[in-house]
Amino acid sequence: MNGNVLIKVNDLKKHYNGGTVKALDGLNCEIKKGEVVVIIGPSGCGKSTFLRSLNLLELPTSGEIIFDGVKITDPKTDINLHRQKMGMVFQQFNLFNNLSISDNITLAPIKVLKMNKADAQKKAEELLERIGLPDKAGAYPQQLSGGQKQRIAIVRALAMSPDVMLFDEPTSALDPEMVGEVLDVMKELAAEGMTMVVVTHEMGFAREVASRVIFMDEGIIQEEGTPEEIFGNPKCERLKSFLSKIL
Amino acid sequence: MKKFLKVASIVLVIAMLACFASCGGNGDEKEKLIMATNAAFPPYEYKEGDKIVGIDAEIAEAIAKELGMELEIIDTEFGSIVGGVQSGKYDIGMAGMTVTEDRLKSVNFSTSYAKGVQSVIVLEDSKYTSYEDFYTGYDKDGNPNGVIDDLKIGVQQDTTGDIYASDKPEKWGFGEDSVIRYKTGADAVQALIAGKVDCVIIDNEPAKSFVEANEGLKILKTSYVEEDYAIAIAKEDTELLEKINAALEKLTDDGTIPGIIEKYIPAK
Amino acid sequence: MDKLIDNLIIEFNQFVDKFKFVFIEDDRWKWLVEGLGNTLKITAVSLIIGIIIGVLVAAVRSSFDKNRETMKMHGGLGYYALAMLNALCKVYLTIIRGTPVVVQLLIIYFIILRSVSDGNVVAMVCFGINSGAYVAEIFRSGIMSIDEGQFEAGRSLGFNYFQTMRYIIVPQAFKTVLPTLCNEFIVLIKETSIAGYVGIMDLTKAGDLMRGRTYEAFMPLIAVALIYLVIVMILTWAVGKLERRLRKNER
Repeated sequence: MNGNVLIKVNDLKKHYNGGTVKALDGLNCEIKKGEVVVIIGPSGCGKSTFLRSLNLLELPTSGEIIFDGVKITDPKTDINLHRQKMGMVFQQFNLFNNLSISDNITLAPIKVLKMNKADAQKKAEELLERIGLPDKAGAYPQQLSGGQKQRIAIVRALAMSPDVMLFDEPTSALDPEMVGEVLDVMKELAAEGMTMVVVTHEMGFAREVASRVIFMDEGIIQEEGTPEEIFGNPKCERLKSFLSKIL
Repeated sequence: MKKFLKVASIVLVIAMLACFASCGGNGDEKEKLIMATNAAFPPYEYKEGDKIVGIDAEIAEAIAKELGMELEIIDTEFGSIVGGVQSGKYDIGMAGMTVTEDRLKSVNFSTSYAKGVQSVIVLEDSKYTSYEDFYTGYDKDGNPNGVIDDLKIGVQQDTTGDIYASDKPEKWGFGEDSVIRYKTGADAVQALIAGKVDCVIIDNEPAKSFVEANEGLKILKTSYVEEDYAIAIAKEDTELLEKINAALEKLTDDGTIPGIIEKYIPAK
Repeated sequence: MDKLIDNLIIEFNQFVDKFKFVFIEDDRWKWLVEGLGNTLKITAVSLIIGIIIGVLVAAVRSSFDKNRETMKMHGGLGYYALAMLNALCKVYLTIIRGTPVVVQLLIIYFIILRSVSDGNVVAMVCFGINSGAYVAEIFRSGIMSIDEGQFEAGRSLGFNYFQTMRYIIVPQAFKTVLPTLCNEFIVLIKETSIAGYVGIMDLTKAGDLMRGRTYEAFMPLIAVALIYLVIVMILTWAVGKLERRLRKNER
């Protein structure tokens, strides 16, 4: 079983203001290759902080994260090398405003992976084709709708051929009619066997796609299990109360 | 080779015709005599605290008293004095000012009340012994025809020293490119001490003060120009000109002006 | 009517005479040419020095602000070196922005660079150092104004700090700060007008000199003002054009 573990998190803590605010309070967790882990929880429960800690955009106060056998929380580790293998999708898309869509997708492969330009562009075209936006290669982010931007943000991360994709509330900033198109891309990705960690409020997506659902509150995992277990048979009170509010 | 400039005689004739009975303030309010100067030219004019003092200030005070007027001194840039007098902004300009042809185009000048000498200040260990060392040669008329390379002469902008030094070598100047113009004489002397200029050409009296105040400076024996100082008055105001010339004559005769000059520049 | 025309002709002739006296006689117009040349030279070189200093200082300051947390965690010499540099930059900014540029010019001319006799060089150094402080803060505010998400997106793709800056943040920041930067350069051109304090023959000094020699205030001052105005207008126009071109990229 252990050979399958892609990310291992031990006693992860993130404190602010000298320890008065505990966003993460000793979190332990394992994510296996091919898993689609969906993290749910009330706002302020630390789920985004947890996700952002996985590629060290958020620096943990203590604890360790082992990614693909490497302890990336060790100061000596070159985090840039490991971030290449962890694609990340943000709530606010964060496409590079100064670059065309095509450059948004090819910049990192060319500059970081040293891929040659033609190959990177070919790959970008394939990815755009796949999400149905091949005609947007020359466009700039400002010209696109939120749904289009988010789909492009996903393929921008995919262009690096990551081992895992981290999604930080990818549909929260979208108009309702655009949520579907983004979730479809994500479902497709899951079906292809991509390892995914998703923070979301889309319970439908969690039910349908997740191989495991994690319920977080107060900076730790309160309960985890299959979608059936979490949604069908919640055990802890917090989860029950959370579900009753959102379903 | 010295350059003597005496233009003051033109105005002397008018001075003879002066009548001074007609002047003087009749009412309680004394009429104001506004004098423009540049109070950075010791001992002719400089500041002591807030007060502007010096030879010019005291002579002006004596003249004002003679005319029954109240003196008001305004401190401005040297270059603005003649223009201000011309436009009527100031009644008179007194700032150790020499009569030059250019200035005569804009204003009238009184009779001369003091003699000014343009001296050359150098560092004590300077290799130059006379301003003539700055010339490379002379033409058949005996006029210079070139200056040494990289010659840098510090002057106070718009002063007589600046005007003469900026002239072409043929006219006994050193050429535009050799002259560096500072806002004050003190700045020019600072630049000399810092080694930024080879010499400073400035009036002899302030030159003496500067040499006294700063170690390592000396005045070259040969002075550069000798000239006469006079008071600038607007061309239209011939009445004032006459009155001032009369006052100057009286004050010279009764020993007031020589006394003032003696006070600031004790004869050694 | 005839009288009016006669008067106008007389006025005009007087104007021409005065113009000749002020500008043509003794080749005084050459002062303006020389002064303009020096003003442009001083401005151009100070601009380059200012941008170099500005970029370096802004880089140190924003690197420190953005990486403080990470570097502190990693500890070691790097953090302390950067913290020292950052403190040094702050001292520089405080001194330069807290004192009048005339005083700085006099200090550099008479004290720091007292052995340099070329006034233009002194002015270039002085205005360069001075403008560097303002440019630094303009760049820094530009960098800080770019949404943190752009930075995080860059880092999440595996770019290191400098690559993220170079490919993503700085190009966007540059576009944001361009108008402010242009403004700073316009200020710089006009600021060089104090170069005359240390005997430099710049444009303002040339006008000053004409005024001092001709005792005419109007024409030299208006001429100098017009020349400054034209330079500034040309620069404003050029930057406007550049701005439009940069913006076109995004449409």
